[in-house]
Amino acid sequence: MPDSGTVERFRALMLPHLDAAYGFARWLTRDPVTAQDLAQEAMLRALRYFHAFRGEEARPWLLRIVRNTWVDQRAKTMADQPLEVVENQPADGPDPEQSALAGDRRRQVAAALAALPTDMREILVLREIQDLPYKQIAAVLDLPIGTVMSRLARARERMAAELSGRLGRRGHGLPDL
Amino acid sequence: MDCPTCEAMVDAYVDGELTATESADFERALELCPECRKRLDTARSVGNLLRDLPAEPAPDLLRAKIERELRGIAGRTAAARPSNAGWGERMRWMAMAASLIVAVGIGWAGGTLTGSFTGRGSNDTDALVASYLRVAMAEHPVDIASSDHHTVKPWYAGRIAYSPPVYDLTAVGFPLLGGRLDVIEGRKVAVLVYRRNQHKLALSLWPAESAGNTEPAVKQHDGFSMAEWRHGGFEWRAVSDVSPGEMQSFTAALNGALDADH
Repeated sequence: MPDSGTVERFRALMLPHLDAAYGFARWLTRDPVTAQDLAQEAMLRALRYFHAFRGEEARPWLLRIVRNTWVDQRAKTMADQPLEVVENQPADGPDPEQSALAGDRRRQVAAALAALPTDMREILVLREIQDLPYKQIAAVLDLPIGTVMSRLARARERMAAELSGRLGRRGHGLPDL
Repeated sequence: MDCPTCEAMVDAYVDGELTATESADFERALELCPECRKRLDTARSVGNLLRDLPAEPAPDLLRAKIERELRGIAGRTAAARPSNAGWGERMRWMAMAASLIVAVGIGWAGGTLTGSFTGRGSNDTDALVASYLRVAMAEHPVDIASSDHHTVKPWYAGRIAYSPPVYDLTAVGFPLLGGRLDVIEGRKVAVLVYRRNQHKLALSLWPAESAGNTEPAVKQHDGFSMAEWRHGGFEWRAVSDVSPGEMQSFTAALNGALDADH
């Protein structure tokens, strides 16, 4: 069990990234309640593995644990239910009239992101929302940098397609695909 | 540079992952390649739209739960260590615990739950959430620990001015942990505490001033589910960190138990 000095060091280094951990967990789970459980479990797991932390960047180190914890949790859930149930997300369909409303745009963007397959969603979140460089994304997802680049390219293309379906192309700077 | 080459560089360019020389090469190639200019625009718009999404900070309850776990772990190791150092450690953690309680208090008083939940202003909501946090964060969340309504109900006699109906809802997945007293808006109120898996649910109730039943209104805010309704002559307020769907089934189960009793 970590001693109180370790806990204190953990608190100082890792707790500032709790918002990032929770934010990532929200996009992984697509549910605020499950995300809290995931973030909590990941923080405790991070504390258990904290002896292996070698002073690298703390945020990607923590996000990697969030993601691994989620993968493990999901493996457990998937054993109980078929894939469609886990992946099935009630996403809002395109509604041209609603899309015209400015306040609705963010909701549509969020829905489009939530509707992406996991591997595309997580890499977009790490790049565009968590603002990580390729090297750190590669570390979080345990991928070669070349794969990070090609997967990002595919994810952006797919996201653009989702968005043009939902928002329409005009007025959002999305070129025809 | 041919198109496949510049196409492969679009994302790295947008993400600032190219060297200065590579960027310059890419920009020159871009002038000759409308396809890749389009790809570049797309990548940029997608990025801008995603970056525009509002960030959601970790809810106060999550932060408080993690703080509590950390305190527990640090406290156990400090307690296990003999010597004066253990004392100093413990005092330090107690000071941190105290500052956490203040932080949580300020967080809620600061109005993270603004917006009227009850129609009577947000004070009521804040008071209910504070009451729930006392349940969720306490070492002993109940004053009378029992899943037996024959034990819990009489405990309230002489402690508050009304006799609360008490039901154990284990059969529908909400075992009764017990009851406690709380002061909400200056009134002594009966609070029943239920469990749903790892989560706790605080149910406050008091005699209704108006007649008739209302449908449970379930809302979600900052990771909490809250329900408000009137049924069987009582006002009910439930707060928990379960999902809104689970909160809905709780209210239905409680109404069912009330109706079966009458």
